[in-house]
Amino acid sequence: MPDFILTFLKTALHVLIFPGLLFVAIGGLLLAGIDRKVLARMQRRIGPPIVQPFFDFFKLMGKETIIPNAARPAIYKAAPLIGTASLAIMMLFFPLFGHQAAWGSTADLIVILYLMTIPAVAIIVGGSASGSPFAGIGISREMVTMMAYELPLVLVFLAAAKKVGGTSLVFSLDSITAWQQANGCLLFHWAMIPAALALLLVIPAEVGTQPFDVAEAETEICEGPLIEYSGAPLAMYKLNTAMKMFVMTALFTVLFLGGINLGGGVLGWVLGGLLLFAICAVLTILCMTLIHAVTARLKVEHLFKFYWTVVAGLALVSLVLVWFGL
Amino acid sequence: MFQKLIAKSMMKSPWLYHINTGSCNGCDIELVACLTPRYDVERYGFKLAGTPRHADIVVVSGPITTQSRDRLVRTLEQVPEPRCVVTIGSCPQSGNVFKGSYSIEGPLEKYCHVDVAIAGCTPKPEAIIEGLYKAAQILQKKREAMK
Ligand code: SF4
Repeated sequence: MPDFILTFLKTALHVLIFPGLLFVAIGGLLLAGIDRKVLARMQRRIGPPIVQPFFDFFKLMGKETIIPNAARPAIYKAAPLIGTASLAIMMLFFPLFGHQAAWGSTADLIVILYLMTIPAVAIIVGGSASGSPFAGIGISREMVTMMAYELPLVLVFLAAAKKVGGTSLVFSLDSITAWQQANGCLLFHWAMIPAALALLLVIPAEVGTQPFDVAEAETEICEGPLIEYSGAPLAMYKLNTAMKMFVMTALFTVLFLGGINLGGGVLGWVLGGLLLFAICAVLTILCMTLIHAVTARLKVEHLFKFYWTVVAGLALVSLVLVWFGL
Repeated sequence: MFQKLIAKSMMKSPWLYHINTGSCNGCDIELVACLTPRYDVERYGFKLAGTPRHADIVVVSGPITTQSRDRLVRTLEQVPEPRCVVTIGSCPQSGNVFKGSYSIEGPLEKYCHVDVAIAGCTPKPEAIIEGLYKAAQILQKKREAMK
């Protein structure tokens, strides 16, 4: 077989199955199920089965898709798919415990930063294409949320890049992982602990869970940008939210716990996948379920203030410490 | 296989949308009692949706006042197929204690097909859960008939 066909097949396999679309979708839906179950147990309920998000997804797939008269059909239907694609591709940049990333290169962190905004932009575009005034309020809130968590995120990335690079900045996740394999996980370098906390607090805002779900506040603005969606596009949005959970917790794992080495070969891949999922489940419970269970929704200006003072402050502390070589 | 999965999921994850058409609040509180930890219908996959577009089961309580009639009809039209309409309490069925009032335009059967009617003033949460469960089964049948 000619080389390019092999390369093509390999790429297709990476994008569609592992560690791309299928892996992220199944992992994300399972994480969402664990989140709902654990939340229910914390509220002393029995809670839905762990596979409940799969039922929700397939049910929505089977519903009628209504396109409102005021909507732009093409954008309205394409927006959620763009979000799904960018989330699946993000996973290809993550090296898996001693394995090279499928698509690693020199500036992964910057690419990830851009890819991460695409699902949020998809929600904004889809919401504004639906032509509902509630969606209008929702997308303005979504934009504010995006700006709020972007700053701490950039600071966290800078701190990690400086810590690994020493005199220069290293944005390649492969190099960051290699450095962690040699010097221990970034989480256990005390100067990086505030940055880790900051990233843990960024995750719920990025995913949009309880205290930070201002954009989709179903009790006040009827799910915001998603108000007019039904059927398959809504299923894709719900899938996106679940995939975000997995991708964001995986980002934390790669950035701060990349020092774990499980050896090579097929066994290494399988173990790596399982371990990644286990760590992601713990992180999901820690930074999403726990906070969800004990808080009520913030106002959008409080959210903004919280992220630009407390969370950005934490990340800045790390950056300054790292800058002085600690 | 895919179609079977979808039909099964229909029953496993029905989302509710609640419309109050002038009810005395008794039925609404009993529905809330079903959703909260004591009865927890979420263990069967029921969830309260924020908009009629996301709903599978529309729960109507109250005797349909003149003011709420047009809104009710418009909201019911916005729910995507397959959908079920469930009434809670005697009010939407007969008008109950409000029957004969100048401002009551019930019963609900005049405006749409009612799939499950849960009688009582107010019905117990157990009765509501059973009614919702039956509605979920009807939902699955409707989906199977759709393809
Ligand atoms: S059925 Fe009884 S409890 Fe329910 S809304 Fe009517 S009067 Fe109130």
